[in-house]
Amino acid sequence: MSSNNKKWFSLNLGTKPKASNKSCSCGKTSGGCGGAHSEQQQLSDEEFAKAAINASIGEERVKDGFDQVFDVKMDRRSAFKKLTASLLIGAGAVSTSCSVISGDEAKEKAQIDWEEQFKGNYKLMTDKEKEATVNRLVRSYQLRTGKTISMSSKNAEEDVLFGYAFNISKCQGYMDCVNACVEENNQDRNSQMQYIRIHEMKDGNGFSFDEADDNYYHEVPAEGHFYMGTQCFHCDNPPCVNVCPVQATWREDDGLVVVDYDWCVGCRYCMAACPYDGRRFNWSKPEVPEAEVNHNQHYLGNRMRKKGVMEKCTFCVQRSRAGKNPACVEACPTGARIFGNLLDPNSTIRWVLENKKVFRLKEDLGTEPKFWYFMD
Amino acid sequence: MKYNKDIMRHLCFGFAFLLLLFSCKHGEGEYHGVSERIEAESEHYKGTSLSSEKYLEGMETIEITEGGHTFLIPERKGQIRSYACTECHTEPLHKMQSKDVKKAHWDIKLVHANENTMNCITCHNPDNMDNLRSLTGKQIDFNNSYNLCNQCHTKQFEDWKGGAHGKRIGGWAPPRASMTCVNCHNPHKPHFESKWPARFNTQKVKERE
Repeated sequence: MSSNNKKWFSLNLGTKPKASNKSCSCGKTSGGCGGAHSEQQQLSDEEFAKAAINASIGEERVKDGFDQVFDVKMDRRSAFKKLTASLLIGAGAVSTSCSVISGDEAKEKAQIDWEEQFKGNYKLMTDKEKEATVNRLVRSYQLRTGKTISMSSKNAEEDVLFGYAFNISKCQGYMDCVNACVEENNQDRNSQMQYIRIHEMKDGNGFSFDEADDNYYHEVPAEGHFYMGTQCFHCDNPPCVNVCPVQATWREDDGLVVVDYDWCVGCRYCMAACPYDGRRFNWSKPEVPEAEVNHNQHYLGNRMRKKGVMEKCTFCVQRSRAGKNPACVEACPTGARIFGNLLDPNSTIRWVLENKKVFRLKEDLGTEPKFWYFMD
Repeated sequence: MKYNKDIMRHLCFGFAFLLLLFSCKHGEGEYHGVSERIEAESEHYKGTSLSSEKYLEGMETIEITEGGHTFLIPERKGQIRSYACTECHTEPLHKMQSKDVKKAHWDIKLVHANENTMNCITCHNPDNMDNLRSLTGKQIDFNNSYNLCNQCHTKQFEDWKGGAHGKRIGGWAPPRASMTCVNCHNPHKPHFESKWPARFNTQKVKERE
């Protein structure tokens, strides 16, 4: 590629452009690499690069930014189609709310959609605004499905910092926790998304996640194996929060790392940043049969998500902020899961941390997870 | 000349001070780690307004204090279907054992330790069926049956008192209510059975193919 066509800066260290017509990467100047390809088939580096770029991005390579978007060759018909479509989305709400013909319900729906569209980041909302958006969402659900849900916007309680302990010598791999989690948190049934992973590990191999099986189906506990669960660890220094370009995820005062599903743009940076594989992405619209929907919801927790947003374990914020244990803790038949308030010196979680030999995963990263493992 | 030197020195100090001010500020937190934070913040713990009392409603509990831990456990006697035992066991056991009477408790098979260590009367008192009996012959109430278990299972008992063994009832918020030994373990067959996992993720299998 000629340098005047380049759109990036490259440092010129005085190396002359290679006379690359007959050379290939192996450095031979004749006969090709091992003589595998004939003269006719062989493309020069330059030609190959050109062809590859042409094939992949075509003319976009010389246009950038807005040009790529707006300089699209389009016939009048499809141009009008696209224009009207976007107009409809934007003005639909206005037209219905101003229309004399459409019913009150449609108007209300449009009004809700409008206000939801332009609401701010949940993190920055006052309590009143939080309540307003929750009420809108409840009303919207009622208008759409005819069912009433309860949604909370309860803030973090003072003097509470949630922590979790997992007993790896107790877990038997029954996966009752996973079931309870899916039901409690209205997770997509189609993609079978799960926040919790139970890893079946061979005794004596330590924590080797690459050799562990996290999707077993046989009678458990299997001979010579132990089980350990991973989920969001609600790090005190969460790397996922730092990378979010829109601040749609943050750490609450009670230590929960939460996501505003309406503010998330779905870039999945947080997913890449999490060293524990704690985050999940909605590749399709999450669907839950109406009869199975958990109607006890929290804005930051198990309310219905949409396509293209991140979600994850919230320690069941709708339950934990009401004093209950997360669904996984309640469902575990072996008592391997312990949850509680880290700031309460008399809590059971504190006893575990102070009296058992506890450890956390990848402690050296400095993420400070609030999820400890221990053994009997 | 000296004046200039002084200014330079001041500037240097100022610069170093500024550098220190900014370079020592790592992250936003005031603490080095979460353990430090927990320690510092829990010093002035005043308690929360949250309570799990409402989740314990409709459940008979009794309060126990063991080794400095005070908490609730479920009442037991009311849960045993044929309590009080003396309603049938009107006489001491040796008088009731005969060939004419129908055999009772035939369905209970003891799978707990071995025959050298345990049989029925290790825990049950043949002369007073309404109470349990310790190894030294002391009476133990059915409600406090954990006192029977902790004669051998001392380590588990320690963990249970602290909250590392067993399961909470209600929620994490105080008051603490914990299941007692027999709420999870069948005393006649305390081992957990192996079973099939509650769920299998078929989608994950497809994705990984």
